[in-house]
Amino acid sequence: MKKFFHKNYWYILMRISGIQFFLVMLFSGVSWANVTEAQQILDRQVSVQAENQHFKSVLADLEAQAHVKFVYSSSLIKSKNRVTADLVNVSLREALDRLLIPHALDYKVSGKQIILRPSSTVTPIQPKKTSQRTVIDISTLNRVVKGKVTDEEGQPLPGVSVILKGTTQGTSSDADGLYSISVPDGPVTLVFSFVGFGTREINVAASVTDLSVELTEDKKALTEVVVIGYGTARKQDLTGAVSVVDVSKMKAQPVASPVESLQGKATGVHIINDGAPGSTPQIRIRGFSTINNNEPLFIIDGVPFEGKLSWLNQNDIESMQVLKDAASASIYGARANNGVVIITTKKGKAGAAPMISFETYVGTQVPRRETFPKMLNPQQFADYLYASFNNMNDPTRRPGLGSTTGTNYGTGSTPVLPEYLLAGNKTGHNITSADVDPSLYNYSRNLSTFYQITKANKEGTDWFREISTNAPIQNYQLSISGGGQNSSYAVSGGYMNQQGTIIHTGFERYTFRTNTNFNIFDNRVRIGENFQYSKVTAVGVGVNPNTAGSYQGEGSPIGFAYRIQTIIPVYDVMGNFAGTRGDKLGNAQNPVALLYRAKDNKGSSHNLLGNVFAEIDILPELTFRSSFGLRYENYNSISIGYPNPEHSEGSVNNSLSETHGYNSDWTWTNTLNYKKTFDKHNLGVMLGTEAVKTVWRDLTGSRNEFFILGNLDYYYLSTGSSNINNNSSGSKSALYSLFGRIDYGFDSKYLLSATLRRDGSSNFGPENRFGTFPAVSAAWRLSGEEFLSSTNWIDDLKLRVGYGVTGNQRIPAFQYLPRYSASQNNSYYPITGSVVSGVWQSNYDNPAIKWEELRSLNVGLDFTLFNYTIDGSLEWYNRDTKDMLYPVPMPSAAVGMGSSPFVNIGTMNNKGFELALNYHYNQANARNFTFDVGLNFSKNVNELTFLAPSVPEQPYLSYRNLQVSLLKPGEVFGAFYGYKMIGIYQNESELSGGYPGARVGGPKYADVNGDGKIDANDRTVIGNPHPDFIYSLSFNATWRNFDLMMFFNGSQGNDLYEVTRQFTDFGLFGGAISERLLNAWSPSNPNSMVPSPYDQRSAYEMNSSSYYIQDGSFFRMKNLQLGYTFGDKIAGKYVKGLRAYLSATNLFTLTKYTGMDPEVSQLSSTFSAPGVDSGIYPVSRQYLIGLSLTF
Amino acid sequence: MLTHGLSRKASGVGLAAHPKFSNILMKKYKITGLAAYLLILSSCSDSFLDLTPQGQLVGSQLNSPDGVEQLLIGAYGMLNGNRSGTWGNYASAPSQWLLGEVTSDNAHKGSNSADITTMNDLERFVPNSTNDNLETLWNRCYEGVLSCNSVLRAVETLQSGSGQKLDPQRATEIIAEARMLRAHYYFFLRRVFVNVPYIDENTSTPDAAVTPNDTDIYPKIQEDLEFAVANLPTNKPKGDVGRVNKIAAQAYLGKVLLYQNKHAQALPLFETVMASLPDLTGIPFENNFQTETENGPESVFAVQHAIAGSVVDNANVGDMLGGYYGSAPVTCCGFYQPSIDLVNAFKVNENGLPYLDNSYRNNTYSSDLLLPGDKSSFVLDKSIRFDPRLDYTVARRGVKFRDWGVMPGDGWIRDPAFGGPFLAQKHTINLSEFGTQTVPGQEYVTGLNVNLIRLADVYLMAAECLIEGGDLVKAMGLINKVRERASKLPKKKAADDTDAANYQIGLYTAFTDKEHALRAVRFERRLELALEGHRFYDLVRWGIAKEVIESYSAYEGEYLPAYRDIKFNNFNNYFPIPQSQLDRSSGALKQNDGY
Repeated sequence: MKKFFHKNYWYILMRISGIQFFLVMLFSGVSWANVTEAQQILDRQVSVQAENQHFKSVLADLEAQAHVKFVYSSSLIKSKNRVTADLVNVSLREALDRLLIPHALDYKVSGKQIILRPSSTVTPIQPKKTSQRTVIDISTLNRVVKGKVTDEEGQPLPGVSVILKGTTQGTSSDADGLYSISVPDGPVTLVFSFVGFGTREINVAASVTDLSVELTEDKKALTEVVVIGYGTARKQDLTGAVSVVDVSKMKAQPVASPVESLQGKATGVHIINDGAPGSTPQIRIRGFSTINNNEPLFIIDGVPFEGKLSWLNQNDIESMQVLKDAASASIYGARANNGVVIITTKKGKAGAAPMISFETYVGTQVPRRETFPKMLNPQQFADYLYASFNNMNDPTRRPGLGSTTGTNYGTGSTPVLPEYLLAGNKTGHNITSADVDPSLYNYSRNLSTFYQITKANKEGTDWFREISTNAPIQNYQLSISGGGQNSSYAVSGGYMNQQGTIIHTGFERYTFRTNTNFNIFDNRVRIGENFQYSKVTAVGVGVNPNTAGSYQGEGSPIGFAYRIQTIIPVYDVMGNFAGTRGDKLGNAQNPVALLYRAKDNKGSSHNLLGNVFAEIDILPELTFRSSFGLRYENYNSISIGYPNPEHSEGSVNNSLSETHGYNSDWTWTNTLNYKKTFDKHNLGVMLGTEAVKTVWRDLTGSRNEFFILGNLDYYYLSTGSSNINNNSSGSKSALYSLFGRIDYGFDSKYLLSATLRRDGSSNFGPENRFGTFPAVSAAWRLSGEEFLSSTNWIDDLKLRVGYGVTGNQRIPAFQYLPRYSASQNNSYYPITGSVVSGVWQSNYDNPAIKWEELRSLNVGLDFTLFNYTIDGSLEWYNRDTKDMLYPVPMPSAAVGMGSSPFVNIGTMNNKGFELALNYHYNQANARNFTFDVGLNFSKNVNELTFLAPSVPEQPYLSYRNLQVSLLKPGEVFGAFYGYKMIGIYQNESELSGGYPGARVGGPKYADVNGDGKIDANDRTVIGNPHPDFIYSLSFNATWRNFDLMMFFNGSQGNDLYEVTRQFTDFGLFGGAISERLLNAWSPSNPNSMVPSPYDQRSAYEMNSSSYYIQDGSFFRMKNLQLGYTFGDKIAGKYVKGLRAYLSATNLFTLTKYTGMDPEVSQLSSTFSAPGVDSGIYPVSRQYLIGLSLTF
Repeated sequence: MLTHGLSRKASGVGLAAHPKFSNILMKKYKITGLAAYLLILSSCSDSFLDLTPQGQLVGSQLNSPDGVEQLLIGAYGMLNGNRSGTWGNYASAPSQWLLGEVTSDNAHKGSNSADITTMNDLERFVPNSTNDNLETLWNRCYEGVLSCNSVLRAVETLQSGSGQKLDPQRATEIIAEARMLRAHYYFFLRRVFVNVPYIDENTSTPDAAVTPNDTDIYPKIQEDLEFAVANLPTNKPKGDVGRVNKIAAQAYLGKVLLYQNKHAQALPLFETVMASLPDLTGIPFENNFQTETENGPESVFAVQHAIAGSVVDNANVGDMLGGYYGSAPVTCCGFYQPSIDLVNAFKVNENGLPYLDNSYRNNTYSSDLLLPGDKSSFVLDKSIRFDPRLDYTVARRGVKFRDWGVMPGDGWIRDPAFGGPFLAQKHTINLSEFGTQTVPGQEYVTGLNVNLIRLADVYLMAAECLIEGGDLVKAMGLINKVRERASKLPKKKAADDTDAANYQIGLYTAFTDKEHALRAVRFERRLELALEGHRFYDLVRWGIAKEVIESYSAYEGEYLPAYRDIKFNNFNNYFPIPQSQLDRSSGALKQNDGY
């Protein structure tokens, strides 16, 4: 493996360091060429079968086969040079390797030309006058140092550059790794460098003439080529903040969406997971940059995509880059505010034999049951209920009355649990043995004859346990890639099936991908395509991979698990679902029933995404590329409603609703790329145009009353007889853009880049249709400077500064026009007795509307230190969003119930600091023990700096009595809002100055405005949903054939708002009560902060307060994986690679949060509300066994 | 312009980059071609970006006679207090159950104490300016106003334009309809908030946003109604049952004058209305509360509600929370429960006359409220002398309710200890109407119309004017007509098909003085129009809200602790301007005194 690795790479002269580069330039006098192009040439397949043939004729044969031209001096290859070889279908690279090395020749690709030259050269150079280098007269060279350069396994390394430090004097090692260099007397420093290996500087004492050197393979190759906006760049030439994600590490996690595996892999990228099968987690790049849509823009093989990514198979991804700052992202203009994630899928390699790989994992997902909130058992609940009436001290409201505790607990002064909850119309203790005669049982759809018999579950039902289950997960992927002389291909198919850990939920995905590439006209034209089809199906309640999911909230199965009393059993005496029908059992639905009845609910989407492209080399340096990308998504879903007569607010209806719709986008991109090198000057210019058209349309219908229930073959809308509804809706938008970039580099030390994009968006009116988004950035490679040349421990050091402007145009369309709507549920009126159509002005206009603008400054430092053992980067940024689009609510006197137009008014600021730090241990001895440790640290500070003057503050996200989140200048976006609870009222004397309905045992709030009373004006900011910082820790180790990976991530200092406490702690809707109430305040427990039970709580008690807020910090072991790679013998003749692994995710979580899971995705209201927990789908533990096999 | 610049730059770079190639002209040609190509791409960008709204209209598409008519329907469309959606339009319900009844001695919010607590604040007269219900009324009514303004502007634009125009007579009629509707929406605002900004068709949107609330708008409301009276036909325009006509405008103008205590001006209007319509005694009381007989002669101005297919948005969504609970055929949501005080007010003396001195509060009838345990010992007391209208106004245990069967008591009530043992009836419909007047699963929304003004209301308003003018005899005649009509009501039955009460209703024979007459007419309004959204506003205009509410609180609180100790201040005669509206007005709006 190792050998294979460097054979592939050591020729790629693109990757040599600065001085060597300079040398080569002088020597060859040819232009710098595109590295990928060079690779493509070298990947071409050739065959050489020669028996003592003339070298030149062999070369001529190769020229014809590979469509290249060899350039060499006649003195270099003499007629006596003869060759014997038998190479069939090998790459040009390998052929040259075999042919040239024995002749001590080296080569360099330049366009279509391959320059041959001696591989060991002493090259005297005339330094430029401007050079700061010390000029050493060749005549002073009077000693020869020689030796052998090897890799860590002792294999000789040919072609290693050996430079006398401080000069341009140098040589390179020969085919056997031997070098020899003349140096002056006295101590000197030699610099050994080679592509893909760590550079070594060795101080050579005056007496030393024999020096053998071992170079260490550099796994953090700075020369890696990364995909940036509309092009590629070497990582070392980047001037912006780009996180390059190590895709090989991402594979380790079983995830439906590639976004999830980004968690912790890139600084500044905040991922919040969600346990629903197939879900795409929330992704925020460098915080919330706007009060509007904060989703990043994805570019998948050049095709822009906005939305959830569950349809994309992670195994198909070759590289992922996150463009975080304006310098890198503003080439995407009006869509780049929230960052850009560039995804490139796997391509085949020209001239490579077909490689077939099969990857799979299967496993089980285990709900983290220990985190389920604990509820009072029925006896404890009864005691709580009694206390809640006793605490009222009202003789008319004492417990034991029908009007207070009802029939379930008897009429005495202490509660007695009932045997039965319901028998027909009788409830609780009123039920006699005659009433529970099973012959009376009648599970009818007519509520007047409905007769259900339900026993009380005195032990208590653990509803969370009832709705959760261990669930299988499996994933398979088969792919084939390879290429011929003029083409390459990669084809793959995948299947994933993830059942949910909440019963009757699941996710299934089929993916097919084909990427092909053809070279024609002597490789001057390249055409190809990347296409993917995927079918995604989600099953069960609200598990829709494209939305947050309706499993959250008070009306959801998980919400009901919080809300349903524990005395209610899952099933009645006949095995039908039991429920809240009965006396004072609250109004929750049986969550098991709800989930079961939704088992046939299904949402499918068919996704086609891809592009066809053509690339034409107009000149060697000038390439025109045109790409037409298409995304077509067809989605459909059905949702079935069943009678729920066991529910206290149940109905006997059944219903079907069905949705069909499509998203259709196309993107046509045309670019001209020019790259040229003059001496030390590198110039790159890119110009382009892009047109994007987006359309969606859908059709929904629903009906009630089907003749038979539960029969999927019968459920068609036309068979329903009542409640006939149908609707359709849609939208269109278009974007037209011009953009360009200029990159300039001098000596690979000074790098400058400027981009400009001009976007025209149909979202904006004629006044502001076009927006211009410039960015400039510069980088300075300090390690290339003389003054750092004596610093041994610095291998690479680069300082970057970038400033630029990006935009956000994602608002509802046509804000610049006044619009009228006509629809039955808005403007119609039964003027004739039956309904007649009418029209109303639904939208008021702002002709001056334009995009949001984000100005961002980024300063970064990339470093590689201590002989490549430590690398990382530091980033500091300041992002100012201005002209934030905000639908400033106008007075109703101006707009009625119509929508106020968005106006450009708010400003928001994010400042942050990011550190990525990696340590690599013992890379030189890969067969023995090696490990890498990585740390990512990201801190972001958000502030909503300004909002409309007419809106001093805007609370939003209402939950019954709670208004949870707040927009207010000077605060963070989505700050938690409410009363500050400072204790419990201990006695009557404390009540004066309280709120209406204040009581002993009730919560005591701070009088924030000091006016001597508690009212709405005392509400204040009570929590911050944004973390102080997020971090992750990764550990990878190998030992012989074993590999071990551990990954941890955490969030520190964020608050969470546990909305469910209004049910479980304050008894809203008479449901289950949390065990926290066992420690409620009482005169004998005066230090408790839990308000005492009380039946008629004041609205103030239940209002939003700091009682709902908790620290949401957590530290989680996200992933643990142990793998074994089988050696050749075990793997067998045809198997090239075989690795098996065991993996576990979410093994442990350290947190003080009392909700189910500290990872809480935002909720969406008018504005998104981060950190609000209304009953999330918790992530599970997953145990997997996996296999990857290569043929 | 920029496109051009970029393209030139492209060719410039291309030229500079390849001076040493001999085929430079060829390259130059290629690059120039590309530049031209880019230019062509960009020149079509304007039309590429010019899209039109999907599924919506822009103003020019409405500039036609049909467009104006459609806008007018849109203005009528706000009468049910609902622009979009079903839930949430409670305070703007045309029945005014929340702000006209729950806020009075007639009714409770119902449901349980934790449900929509901002309604509890209204009921207890401790609303603050962030009360969402107040904002609901405010923005629904302004939506109505603006919809009317849209009509008026559209008529003006159309008639002054060059295209096809409306028939001038219809144009005037449309203006009159729109102005009458505008008067209605403003009247709803004026009653609740007193100080509101006046926006008409000449106010621009930015000006409307900063119009102050410092001028009494009653004169403006009167102007609109006077225009309507003058220009509306006696018959319904276009023959549509839901349109306003001259009679409705006269009644509404009279009502607006009455609210300003302009009794003498109001009376002739009421008299005209009464003269235009059949005698009340011939119109069954119950016709007002069933869908088969709605839009009868008593219906002077009714908000039309209808179920269209399965769509309930055009139905009575404002009253939907009043759907019964539990085992009732409507299972949500248990709001809107009559007070014990109201039910007892229906008691009559041996002459069949109400206890005007509040002595109905003796021997309180509270159904099964005070029974212990499961209340199985309940027996309906059928001996109580009740006005027959009681069992057409409320539902109570042991009495047959419509065609639903015997009302079972707590089985239909969400939290009787909070809201009491009674349910409101006038907004419900018969089971036999369920097939066409509601939809399965949403039986709490019905197609029942809500009368904004019905003939009995006009009789009693006229009686008030007569009393204030000193004509007690004529007033008594009108009151007695209302009572005589009520006496014709079929008697409601208990489970055993015997009369559920000793139903009695007698006629007044004489009023001892104006005070007596006033008490009688006010009491009659309470009984006749109970739970129809008048009570709180009547108490306020009579100036007796404080006295009535606090006395009621003392009485009701004996039975239902949630209504104890209600304090009524002078500023409780109106409600606070919604805080959001103050905040959004850039200081133009001023909060009402006391809030």
